[in-house]
Amino acid sequence: MKTYLSLSAILMIFTWNLSFGNPLNDAYLQAMSTEISKLYQAASVEELQKSANAFQRISTMNPSEWLPDYYAAWAYANMGFRSQGSAQDKDNYFAQAKKLADKAAQVSPNNSEIVAMQGYITMGELSVDPGSRGQHLSPVAMQTFGKAINLNRTNPRAILLMAQMEYGMAQFFGQGPEKACGLILSSLELFKKEAATVKNNSIEPLWGEDYAKGLYQELCGN
Amino acid sequence: MKAYQLLLFLLFSQAAWAQTTIRGTVQDQRGETIPGVNIFVKGTYVGTSSELNGSYVLVFEELGDFVLVFQALGFRTQEIPVQQRQEPLEISITLKEAINEMTAVTITAGALEASDEKRAVVLRPLDIVTVPAAMGDIIGAFQTLPGTATVGNDGRLFVRGGDASETAIFIDGLQVGNAFGTTASNVPTRTRFNPNLFKGSFFSTGGYSAEFGNALSSALSLNSVDMPLRSQGDISIMGIGGGINQTLVGTNNSLNAGANYTNLGPYQNMVRQNFDWEQAPASWDAEILGRQKLGSNTLLKAYARTERGSMKIWQAQPGIPQERGILLGVDNRYSFAQVSAKHTGKKDWSMYGGMSFSTNSDFLTVDQLSIRNTNRVFHAKGVAIKEFSDRFSLKSGLEHFRFEYREALPDEGLERSFEDQQLALFSEADLYLSNRLIFRTGLRAGYSALASQTWVDPRVSFAYKFEHEGQLSLAAGKYSQMPVEEIRVNQPTLQNTEAIHYILNYFLTKNGRTIRAESFYKNYDGLVTYEGRRFAYQAIQQQGAGFARGFDLFFRDQQTFENTDYWVTYSFVDSKRQFSTFQSQVQPGFAPKHSLAVVIKHFIPALKSQVGTSWSMNDGYTYTDPNLPGEMNSKTRGFQDLSLSWSYLPKPHLIIHLACSNVQGRDNIFGYNFSPTPNEAGQFDQLPIRQTAPRFLFLGIFITLSKDKSANQLNNL
Repeated sequence: MKTYLSLSAILMIFTWNLSFGNPLNDAYLQAMSTEISKLYQAASVEELQKSANAFQRISTMNPSEWLPDYYAAWAYANMGFRSQGSAQDKDNYFAQAKKLADKAAQVSPNNSEIVAMQGYITMGELSVDPGSRGQHLSPVAMQTFGKAINLNRTNPRAILLMAQMEYGMAQFFGQGPEKACGLILSSLELFKKEAATVKNNSIEPLWGEDYAKGLYQELCGN
Repeated sequence: MKAYQLLLFLLFSQAAWAQTTIRGTVQDQRGETIPGVNIFVKGTYVGTSSELNGSYVLVFEELGDFVLVFQALGFRTQEIPVQQRQEPLEISITLKEAINEMTAVTITAGALEASDEKRAVVLRPLDIVTVPAAMGDIIGAFQTLPGTATVGNDGRLFVRGGDASETAIFIDGLQVGNAFGTTASNVPTRTRFNPNLFKGSFFSTGGYSAEFGNALSSALSLNSVDMPLRSQGDISIMGIGGGINQTLVGTNNSLNAGANYTNLGPYQNMVRQNFDWEQAPASWDAEILGRQKLGSNTLLKAYARTERGSMKIWQAQPGIPQERGILLGVDNRYSFAQVSAKHTGKKDWSMYGGMSFSTNSDFLTVDQLSIRNTNRVFHAKGVAIKEFSDRFSLKSGLEHFRFEYREALPDEGLERSFEDQQLALFSEADLYLSNRLIFRTGLRAGYSALASQTWVDPRVSFAYKFEHEGQLSLAAGKYSQMPVEEIRVNQPTLQNTEAIHYILNYFLTKNGRTIRAESFYKNYDGLVTYEGRRFAYQAIQQQGAGFARGFDLFFRDQQTFENTDYWVTYSFVDSKRQFSTFQSQVQPGFAPKHSLAVVIKHFIPALKSQVGTSWSMNDGYTYTDPNLPGEMNSKTRGFQDLSLSWSYLPKPHLIIHLACSNVQGRDNIFGYNFSPTPNEAGQFDQLPIRQTAPRFLFLGIFITLSKDKSANQLNNL
């Protein structure tokens, strides 16, 4: 009797898992992988908008996941960076990105990736009008990247973005790019480690390595 | 054959049953197509986006009845229920625009906003404190903005023909009593508050919201920093003193504590002064500001400040140049404290409010006479805002004020005082008809126990934004304010003075350039007139009236010249009023007709320096020359000031700031004092009211100690 009960319990859990857990989860993972690869390919504002829409659809279906909003925020931030429109257009994209990143942060507080994304968006807002926003926003951006690094010292994106801010500061004060280059180098190492440990079809954030290489070439390569 | 037909039918119907195709286009209310609309079947992963021409195609396995959702940035989300087998599935829709907080029209009539967060601003907070002529004083910077007049022998804020007492100052929405330091007559004063505490300001030169009362001409609302970014220590070493400030930041709270000491004595010994000082102005202050987050929706702030300042000055009397004159002594003690809270609630409710208290005591000596007066202001306020939709919101508040004033001649055992309790209620509705059109109507009702007066002040404004981003605003309203305490204590039954404002404003900010043009008409009623002198007012009446009309222009450009930001302001004010001791309507001495200000700031990366210059001028101040018939029958020559500043940032955490006002050393004259009786020749002797010194030279070194080496005190300058 006991065996029977426990067996049926196991079976129940198993079937429950099969019928309710996994298919939904599979659909989520499936949708995410498809959209993530599209997002990495997206070059134009239009393609990024489609990507952002897709992630927002996934987010509506999976409100307890932070990644859909995270990627949607990234897509919007990149629309802001790539937009050829007015300052107002760009600000609209960054404002939407911010909203989504904040939503992700509510689902997953103290997440280094999300905090780094928030800093990335602040950097975007700064880039719209560096003359009048730089003084106010650059400490905010640096602060946010600092927080992201403290939350996870192996997050290569947080370190890469910090490097970019450091470079901007150094330029402002007429200093060399040494500090920024050091940071880019350590981010490159972390990107390597990340690539080595990551599983196939992972939906975790993996972007930034190519950008780090490019930046290193530009600022530090000679 | 039949079997084949059946199969075909089955196949077809199967196909029709299995797949649904929906097509259509999405457009906005003006008929333009919208690309990038998120179109999806509610509750599924099925979805697509509209193309550049607004068209879309959605193919999916049909599930029965479903809801199709259209979602796009800047538009209201629309849901269309679709019934099973509803054919053909062509769904084209028109999306209605949503009100966009960031791009929607804002009411700019009368407003000069400085903020980092909002869009329709004239300046950033940092711009204000880096104005060379300001010397770190917030008000000094506002004097380069439209609608204000520089009154160099006073230092306070004079707006559009209004007296300085007609401007009310608020911190986090709560009234600040005696915001300016007490000073001897004709020695300019400064605001007491450290500009570094504030993240932004809203300065209105008229037509302001029903939220602000007790102000006839103007309201200045300062917002303190919510959360500082990092822990740091700041040290300032200046030619005239020094200060220290420590900031500690935790996850949910922060604390600032600071103290400053200034003494102009050593400086005045080195640099020649126009004034005959017995004891140079010296002061110390200490302040503390704490913030605590309660959950993610509530922020609590507490701020306290205390200070003491004193000076002694010989004021020469006209007609007796050989004597030093009358010795004036000022000893001022001031404390201010406030607590405030902001809360963002559920269901589009938000609330804020708090309490403030200020106490100001002046110990004045005029020759042998000593005068002591104390002024206390208590203010409590609670405001609730409900957003019924993105188009309609309602803000309502309740306020309580307590004004207490006491004036004594201790040597003679004389004392008089009054205490007034006031209640105020206000409500204001914002209605967006579209992103381009907003209406605001407000009502403010007040009651004064001492004056036993009840009043109602209606206010309206509206704004329209054009296709080219420029916007036009119109504002009108009634404003009430009790007469100043010094006079009220003589006659506690005095009623409100009243003003009616009409303002028409055009505002455009685009590509780093801002244009603002405003014209106004202001009508005064119930102004106080009296005979006699200060502290000895007689025949107090409230029959005074007057008007102020004019326009001002503001142009700012951060774009045309690299690393350069400049603005130009011109104000024209035509004002006449009967007030004070005047028998008729005259142009007040604090309302020059033409004022012009130019501020230029240029950053030189190679020198790691910002250099700035500000130049202000006006056409002179009216005064009454008793040797001529009539009132306000003369005018001084024009005022001019050219100030220069240089900020050098050798390291990210070190700033050296050098500034000089009135570089040309121009002898500006703000009016004349006349002898009370004529001399032997039958003439009244005169003495010009001059600047305290030809120039003021400021040198400061600001050091920031922080783990973050890039932190600096740039905001302090």
